[in-house]
Amino acid sequence: MKKFFSNDWVKCIAVLLIIALVSGGLLTVLNDLFYVSSEERTGRAIKKIYGEEKEYTVVLDSENGDDAVEYDFGKIEKIYAVENDTLFRTTGYNGYKNGTVTLWVKTVKDGDGYKIDKVILESYDKQTLMSKLDKAYYDGFLKDVTDTYYTVDAGGENSNPVTGATRSATAGVNAVNCVVKYLNEKAGE
Amino acid sequence: MKTNVKKIAKDGLLSSNPTLKLVLGTCPTLALTTMAFNGIGMGLAVTFVLICSNVIISLLRKVIPDKVRIPAFVLIIATFVTIVRLALDYAMPELYESLGLYLPLIVVNCIILARAESFASKNGIFASACDGLFTGLGFTAALTLMGAFREILGSGKIFGFKLWNFSIDFFGSSAGAFFTYALFIAAFNALSNAVAKKKRAAEYKAAFAAELISDCCAEARPVECAACGDVKEGVKKAANGADKKASDGEKTETEIK
Repeated sequence: MKKFFSNDWVKCIAVLLIIALVSGGLLTVLNDLFYVSSEERTGRAIKKIYGEEKEYTVVLDSENGDDAVEYDFGKIEKIYAVENDTLFRTTGYNGYKNGTVTLWVKTVKDGDGYKIDKVILESYDKQTLMSKLDKAYYDGFLKDVTDTYYTVDAGGENSNPVTGATRSATAGVNAVNCVVKYLNEKAGE
Repeated sequence: MKTNVKKIAKDGLLSSNPTLKLVLGTCPTLALTTMAFNGIGMGLAVTFVLICSNVIISLLRKVIPDKVRIPAFVLIIATFVTIVRLALDYAMPELYESLGLYLPLIVVNCIILARAESFASKNGIFASACDGLFTGLGFTAALTLMGAFREILGSGKIFGFKLWNFSIDFFGSSAGAFFTYALFIAAFNALSNAVAKKKRAAEYKAAFAAELISDCCAEARPVECAACGDVKEGVKKAANGADKKASDGEKTETEIK
């Protein structure tokens, strides 16, 4: 038994295990201490969009038991009513390596319809060329919501192409199209 | 063994500056120096990880078997990088977002692994902490200066405050990052070479004077020598000779050899 524990490889494994266990314990405590709640993240997003903190009402929150609005090309996870505006947290599929792009889309009431007023990036998965999606790309969505979806093919009515990051741009377009489809469905009800 | 803090500080900040002298950690240096604030943020994050990992590695240097030292170092470094990520996401979300992918990449930063391997695993806790602090500050200073330079020229701003409407887009681009890095390395090397040359000349002057004193009265003790009129004359001559030769630059160096 003594010989077993004095083996080099046993010592190596034991030291690595102890370091991993202590690190794990420390990180568990700190993860709890520095935890950022879903509400706080929403508050941050609202501050980023409006430049200040705003009161909001939850219309849909998939993290709190509501079903996400799911489509083939993406899903809407959260909807908030902020003053007279509607804020969507939406994720588009079919990005690079089948990854996703999550955006915040702010829509305002414009007569009988809606208008997309602001689009900002929340997060992304597997997209390595997201820096190619610049301000012009996000500003390309700022139009009245019609029944025409956005595309990345150049020349279309709601075309929003990005050279060199077509797949990531597609995921972004899909995210916004979720909002377009949702608002059209709502208008048709 | 007494820790030579002054030498560690000089090495970390100047003579072995990780960014400008050793050219380590180039990935965040090129990617994050578009703004001075990003440079400070990244630099301080790396400094924190360097200090903490150096201290722990130094503390465990006799316990960690040689065969698994690299995985053990990476485990320790990864722990502190995760702590920095959690803390930044909690307290400074904007900085956390702008550092993005480069924050978790600190785990594989050459500077941290190099200091762990070459210094912390061979020295005491206090010396390792000092080494982490000054190497980190050297990295921070280089990143901040480069960030400020690129921000001023690339967007006409400094720390986000608008200075003027003039800007050269090139300095905000990837090519501008390489160009700025090259400029800073060249300037740093020119400056450190000039300082080293000046120091060598002064050393030569002192050595030459001392040599003449010992030639003048080799048998005499230094106190007696200073009291001797001839020697005083000799010292003056030596000093004059050294002045003349020090001004010759390269020639002086050759003569020392």
